[in-house]
Amino acid sequence: MGLIGYYFRRGWKLFRGEVLVLPSRVAVLVFALAVLLLPLFNQDPYLLRILIFTSIFAILAASWDLLSGFTGQMNFGHALFFGVAAYCTAILNIRLDFPPWFSIPLGAFGAVLAGLIIGIPCLRLRGTYLALTTLAFPIILMGVVFAIPDLTGGELGISGVDRLSGSRLNDYYISAVLMLGLGFIMWKITDSKTGIILHAIREDEVAVRASGVNTTLYKLFAFCLSGFFAGIAGGLYAHIMRTAGPSTLEVALSFQIVIWAVFGGIVSIYGPIAGVFILFPLLEFLRILPKIRMLVFAFIVLITLLYMPEGLIPWIRDKIEKECPRCKVRNVATRKTCRICTADLD
Amino acid sequence: MKRGLAVWSVVGVVCLILSAGFSAWAAGEPIKIGVVGPMQFTQGEGHWNGATLAAEEINAKGGVLVGGVKHPIELVKVDSNEFLSIPDATNAMELAISRHKVDYLVGGFRTEAVLVMQDIAMDNQKIFIGCGAAHPKLCGRVKEDYDRYKYWFRVTPINSRFLVKVDFILLGMVAKIMATQLNIPKIKVAIVAEKAVWCDPIVGIAQKNLPKMGMEIVGVWRPSPVATDVTAELSAIQSSGAHIIFTSFSSSVGVTFAKQWGELKVPAAAVGINVEAQKDGFWAATGGKGNYTLTINTYARVKITDATIAFYDKYKKKFKEAPNYTAGTYEAVHVLAEAMQKANSLAPDKLVPVIEKMKRVGTAGLLAFDETHDVIWGPGYVTALGTQWQNGEIKCVWPLNWQSITYEGAVPYIIPPWVVAHYKK
Amino acid sequence: MIQNIIINGLINGSIYALLAIGFSLIFGVARIVNIAHTAFYMLTAYLIYVGFHHLGMSPYVAMPLSVLAVGLLSVICYKIFIQPIREHEAAVLIATIALAMVIQEALLIGFGGHYLGAPPLVSGYVSIAGVKVTYQHLLALAVALLALLAVWALLMKTRLGLALRSTAQDREVANLMGMNEARVAMATMGVSVMLAGIAGAIVVPLFVLDPHMWMHPLIMVLAIVVLGGLGSIKGSFVGAYIIAFAEVLVVFLLPMGAFLKGSVALSIMILVLLIRPEGLFGIYFEEER
Repeated sequence: MGLIGYYFRRGWKLFRGEVLVLPSRVAVLVFALAVLLLPLFNQDPYLLRILIFTSIFAILAASWDLLSGFTGQMNFGHALFFGVAAYCTAILNIRLDFPPWFSIPLGAFGAVLAGLIIGIPCLRLRGTYLALTTLAFPIILMGVVFAIPDLTGGELGISGVDRLSGSRLNDYYISAVLMLGLGFIMWKITDSKTGIILHAIREDEVAVRASGVNTTLYKLFAFCLSGFFAGIAGGLYAHIMRTAGPSTLEVALSFQIVIWAVFGGIVSIYGPIAGVFILFPLLEFLRILPKIRMLVFAFIVLITLLYMPEGLIPWIRDKIEKECPRCKVRNVATRKTCRICTADLD
Repeated sequence: MKRGLAVWSVVGVVCLILSAGFSAWAAGEPIKIGVVGPMQFTQGEGHWNGATLAAEEINAKGGVLVGGVKHPIELVKVDSNEFLSIPDATNAMELAISRHKVDYLVGGFRTEAVLVMQDIAMDNQKIFIGCGAAHPKLCGRVKEDYDRYKYWFRVTPINSRFLVKVDFILLGMVAKIMATQLNIPKIKVAIVAEKAVWCDPIVGIAQKNLPKMGMEIVGVWRPSPVATDVTAELSAIQSSGAHIIFTSFSSSVGVTFAKQWGELKVPAAAVGINVEAQKDGFWAATGGKGNYTLTINTYARVKITDATIAFYDKYKKKFKEAPNYTAGTYEAVHVLAEAMQKANSLAPDKLVPVIEKMKRVGTAGLLAFDETHDVIWGPGYVTALGTQWQNGEIKCVWPLNWQSITYEGAVPYIIPPWVVAHYKK
Repeated sequence: MIQNIIINGLINGSIYALLAIGFSLIFGVARIVNIAHTAFYMLTAYLIYVGFHHLGMSPYVAMPLSVLAVGLLSVICYKIFIQPIREHEAAVLIATIALAMVIQEALLIGFGGHYLGAPPLVSGYVSIAGVKVTYQHLLALAVALLALLAVWALLMKTRLGLALRSTAQDREVANLMGMNEARVAMATMGVSVMLAGIAGAIVVPLFVLDPHMWMHPLIMVLAIVVLGGLGSIKGSFVGAYIIAFAEVLVVFLLPMGAFLKGSVALSIMILVLLIRPEGLFGIYFEEER
């Protein structure tokens, strides 16, 4: 009994010291709670459907950020991972009757394989060359998809994929929990030693190489990891939509991912997630103005970038938090002295 | 006596008041029909316009009479945006059913989207009448799982199997006309089909059947459905010496092809499926170069049934352009209204058997459904048409003395004059 | 067959070259990947259509007017949306994507998804070595070559051209030498988009207009520019013809696979990059510290 109490007190102290102390972390906590507790207030199937898609695309955008934001490998063909995984999952489900919790991870591994295949030629490329080459891959794959319609269903895609779970509510919880879980894992990765190396590769690859780190391995690792998470999103999509078609490989989707991520704020996993959670429901909400929907959307993105070129979340974060000049730890903006080293914050 | 009169007059007045209130109360709740389609594009516009025309006609009579009450029809515009985003289409469908509470749905165009939208409608047991996707799988599902998919019907276009049949009838007709008029012993055919799954069976069947029909295939070209330049293909076709180009286009390549074919005066007749050539805007889009293009069509100003010309003229007057096959929502809405009146009920389960047995004098032919809820094709039913652009106008050139059917207003096919000039030498 | 391939390849290549050179110019000078480049090309085509069909202008008047109008519009857009965020490359990229979307949506609202067409400046065709070529295509070839000569003259023989070239080589030093980098970038934007506009003017009668027509040429232009080497005008020129010939070869040698011409062209680009990561004539930029 006493032991449980001890752990509880420790947990509470940790919670107070780590989470409650910064408004951004509190915001994340509130967000997670809101996502998980929403069905207690409103179970409208349309709303749940929108949020399921938002969660799936949030995983996708975060995985893009892992690759392009952190490692600096601008990937303009992220739809490739998404599409490959969706198709693999659909084929495994239809041809081999694999259930969703089997076909989705296997589909994600298909995406990882794709990541390897495109990662290797991209090793020698930099910057814009890399971006434009990655753009080409989903297009080439689309040509292949149309060329072998017997396997891929051509422009109709593969339909008749099993449902993810018995009910809309279960679907919602599966995608929401996965989104929170995978997002947390991705964030932890970027916060770890591997994450630091990836960040360093982005800033100055030559220096990292000079430090004795095998950057080729890390770059490939980034491709594969990003591909895996994007693949999970693709597999989920296939089971929710119950179809996997060439629309999963479109250039427009790759561009959308980049828009979401940059709008939310790159080089931070929570930025793209927030970006998707703002922009995707916004686009749905704009259905009330059917003709000028996309126009308004594009304008909002354009204007936001003008004032917050680093992304929305970093801008908000800079307003509510300040960095201590001495120990570099973040503090609430209203504080006068740092909470750790008591240096002046002004 | 006086008291009796007073009582009766009171009763009389009460009855009058009640009857007035009754008819006001009896204007029943509106029946909501969702019109689903890509509303920013002509296909969606056709969906909306056709349905609007039908709803206006029905509401002019007060509405649909069910259970002694007349219910007006209320149309709900559902922009599926299916060309650009499949999730958008499914979200729109979901919105229509759960928020707008539509009772029935008509429309749909892109097969990839309709397959998923159909599932959503069936999940909610709403009747969904397809007016645009021709893929056999949609009705095939009715056969596989009747209890789930019985709420699906298709009104237009005809099933792609029959589309192919008509396609080859048209090809045979033109081949015969060219062989006799230009003294060509063996007709050479170039097959040009956009790279899309719906064309694959057509190409396959053509490769098997054309030799049997006495024609020679000189090549098969598969451009992209949105190709912006097919001059390379046209050059190659010309070098191959083809007399006829057998086309299968559903997208913008149809306009590009016709324009460049006409500009280069390629000495071969263009026959087949060219969906863009079914539209009024084709003439302006090709700058008149698409003249003499022959394509399968659903509507033209000929007397397919007594209802056709009236509908055609009314549509053209109101919307300033000729109806395209997606305007078949006109039929779909009327089918629903008729079924409701006949079954005297609004419940989908009661309407399904009524629609199955329905035989309606429609605008594209006699409308009836087979066991897979697909529109029946054949002489006496819906046959589709072959229409050719003749100097700025769409003219029906088939059926003309086909299985003893000729629709009043049909004219003979004209071989493009430069083709005649080329071969008469 | 060979004549077909050669002539078709030359013509398609010229159209691509016109588009690619403008794109390469803005990238080389201002280091901006202008995703909206082909969107401006589409906008010019639509403006010419409007001028011709709705305002009754003669095409000879509508074309230069539209090209100038679009050039001006691009400079204004640059000033308002891109210049303030020049330092954030990712944001600039997204801004150009959003700009392209705005143009697309505006045209979609104005014209719907209908396919439109404009009549050619010159009708008819001529037979060259047994291959029928339309006069409009020949005109396209001629104008493309003229435009390329004009760009070359601009770059080599004028002071503005000198400024453009030096800014492309080293932005900071050019600034030190007294060239107003911001103004140079604006001028480049204008010139580059006007080149795209000229391509739009040529193409209006040849192709079908629809609000999504900017996506495919964008992909091709990106492939060409990468293949030729970013920042190299000569590279874009050569790359355009290589890609065009590759496409024509696919159509002629593999008619069943004519839809694959885009994929084949892109695969060629990837193959070249595997061997030479900076493209054929690319200048390998030092990472700007």
